[in-house]
Amino acid sequence: MNDFSSLRFLDRFQFLFRRLGIDYDDMRKILQLKLTMDQRRVPTIFNMDSSKKKQGNQFLKSLWLYALYGLISVPFLFFGDHYMLQMSLLFGITMFFLMTSMISDFTSVLLDVRDKNIIGTKPVSKKAISAAKMVHVGMYIALLAGAFLAAPFIVMIFTKGILFSLLFIGVILLNLIFIIALTALIYIFTLQIFSGELLKDIINYVQILLSVGIVVGYQLLARSFEVIDLTVSYTFSWWHVFIPPIWFGAPFELLLRQNMSSGIIFLSLLALFVPIISIIIYARLMPSFERNLEKLLNESGTSRQKLFKLDHLWSRLVCFNREERVFFQFASAMMKKERDFKLKVYPSLGFALFFPFVFLFNSFNNELTGNIGDSKMYLTIYIGSIMIPAAIHMLKYSENYNGSWILRTVSLADSLSLHRGAIKAFFVKLYLPVFAVLSVVFLFIFSPRIAPDLVAVLLGGWLHTIISYKLLNNRTYPFSQSFELAQDTNTAFNILLSLMAGLFALVHYIVLSFSYGIYFYIGALLIVTVVSWLIIFRNNDAQLKQG
Amino acid sequence: MTEKVLSLNDLTISLGGKYVLNGINLDVYQGQIIGYIGPNGAGKSTTVKIMLGLIEDYQGTVEIFGRDIATGDHTYKRRIGYVPENAEIYDNLTASEYLTFIGELYGLDKDVAETKARQLMQEFELDHVFHTRLSAFSKGMRQKVLIISSLLHDPDLLFLDEPLNGLDANSVMIIKEILAQLAAQGKTIFYSSHIMDVVEKISNRIVLLVDGAVAADGSFAELKEQSKEGSLEQIFNQLTGFDEHHDVAGNFVSIVSGESRHE
Repeated sequence: MNDFSSLRFLDRFQFLFRRLGIDYDDMRKILQLKLTMDQRRVPTIFNMDSSKKKQGNQFLKSLWLYALYGLISVPFLFFGDHYMLQMSLLFGITMFFLMTSMISDFTSVLLDVRDKNIIGTKPVSKKAISAAKMVHVGMYIALLAGAFLAAPFIVMIFTKGILFSLLFIGVILLNLIFIIALTALIYIFTLQIFSGELLKDIINYVQILLSVGIVVGYQLLARSFEVIDLTVSYTFSWWHVFIPPIWFGAPFELLLRQNMSSGIIFLSLLALFVPIISIIIYARLMPSFERNLEKLLNESGTSRQKLFKLDHLWSRLVCFNREERVFFQFASAMMKKERDFKLKVYPSLGFALFFPFVFLFNSFNNELTGNIGDSKMYLTIYIGSIMIPAAIHMLKYSENYNGSWILRTVSLADSLSLHRGAIKAFFVKLYLPVFAVLSVVFLFIFSPRIAPDLVAVLLGGWLHTIISYKLLNNRTYPFSQSFELAQDTNTAFNILLSLMAGLFALVHYIVLSFSYGIYFYIGALLIVTVVSWLIIFRNNDAQLKQG
Repeated sequence: MTEKVLSLNDLTISLGGKYVLNGINLDVYQGQIIGYIGPNGAGKSTTVKIMLGLIEDYQGTVEIFGRDIATGDHTYKRRIGYVPENAEIYDNLTASEYLTFIGELYGLDKDVAETKARQLMQEFELDHVFHTRLSAFSKGMRQKVLIISSLLHDPDLLFLDEPLNGLDANSVMIIKEILAQLAAQGKTIFYSSHIMDVVEKISNRIVLLVDGAVAADGSFAELKEQSKEGSLEQIFNQLTGFDEHHDVAGNFVSIVSGESRHE
């Protein structure tokens, strides 16, 4: 195990931990172990004998991406000198961003039940274990925040001066404490009320909702920004008390502007004391939290027989032989039940539903002249197809990838029926619902004249799915690899495949300039789709036997 | 009289509104190998978890080495070794890292822990994978690592939950012998398992748990005396009131071959 520089840095503050009655040496040992494991998120089982093991912490490498995201908040620093507004927006974005990362990336740290059995049974105080957990999360959140805020901070030094920047560091520390405590408290209360499987589902849906929320929220924020009048000075309203980012904006107004109004003072006090109080509550509740973690281990509740009627009907409709139907139902069930799969794919379904409208409304604003109903703006529906490659890619992975031995050991008449079943299940169960909702709304906005266009979009989506499946998954069995490998893939390639949706839109746009072009386009798509389907998914074995 | 190592007094716990343990009384003395048996869901693992301080809201008292564990002092765990049932392990660590870490948590010096771990691994003929990650280990190899991790610090009390899981016949013989020798040295072993033949041979005292209460307690000879059955398996069946294995098996096979007698 390495000696991490972060730990050596932490050593300087060991007196603090000892002051709090925490066994620093034990805590350090646990932390060292956790950091070592973080470096190895990619399991070696697949490259056991190869010498070129993946080294380094994948998380640290992804920090560059966070730094890039950080650029988003730079513009806010240039909008005049409205401290309250600027800082509230900056903190709002930061909080949103960091909380979603907390929930999506550190749930496994906060809710790791292995710790309980492995470390909990050793002569280590519970305080040391909890502290290690907290410091572990804290270190990463600090790194995340550091990366995310690096760019705005540098800009801040130049536009706002040193004093402002120093104050910013202080406030952001309070903000981070608040974020950690708040996230943990949300978990504590959910765990208190719910149990076992239900809780895991709830956490899962909260995660999904938040990842959609962060993007949707940002869009709304950007919209509202256009409405806000920057010249007006800040006036306190009672409801500001309920919006944490505003608290953290207040100290700037108070200390740098000497704005001593009672509203500002009150908000500043909230920014100072709420984080401290919440972290104390968190520390107090930690023992009961650990106890409730046990719930995650217990499978509770009685099982009910699920009605698979709809899946059954679909499988009859779209699958042409029994094997394919079996795999269609298998894949549908997996997509519905696997939490990791849902967590990784459902947010993009949400975006697929949401973004076509964002672009549509943007164009409403820009093209006030002319009637939107007659325009070609319905092509924004192609944005819904951007999610296809990412979702298809995820089909390869499963939490229970070890179970896939069964796929390899059953004897299949047609080895490709598994892939056909899975790809059809994806299309019917995930793509089609999104497409259906979009279509209904678009038909309403643009009148039924776009019906043939929608047919072309649907065919294009199907072709997009087939191509993505071939290029990303090829012959890898669905649900047969660990999610840990999913980080390993070529993101650029995925993005490129997503942009194929744009290509479809472009071709669609071009054929629209010919009369009846759309019908020729549908015909051509139909042929290309059927041919590529046959090439990629036709059973060659059977073909050989016949010939 | 030898020292009383462990004492459970009217231990009761309800999890999710259901009583899992219904007043267990048990005194365990130094050098005993307790075969802790019972049907699935009888509360065996729960008892062990309580004694290890993993579950806290129980009623009754648990004394280990003469001290009540509810006082919150965790140092009693320094004299305990534990092999968990479901073989939980941080498997992206190497065997060396894992064992050294566990040894250090038990208060051993880093170098001492590592040397001892290597020597023990060597005895199990695992020294060639000492620096290999546990994720590449077979089930049996992992189990051996877990057993080593529970013994590194020379504990006085051992909790073993299905410790022979996944081990081959030769390794099973080694472990059985190790346990016998440890007990002869005065260590106390708390052994829970479903494999009755092993429990019968290994333990000098058998405690049978049914529905969260002790249904039988005594040496194998005593239990045999009481129930007039030939093997521990039969005694187990009799005491848990299970005598339908023949019928169940018959039904099962007929369903497999498609000539179901019911429905």
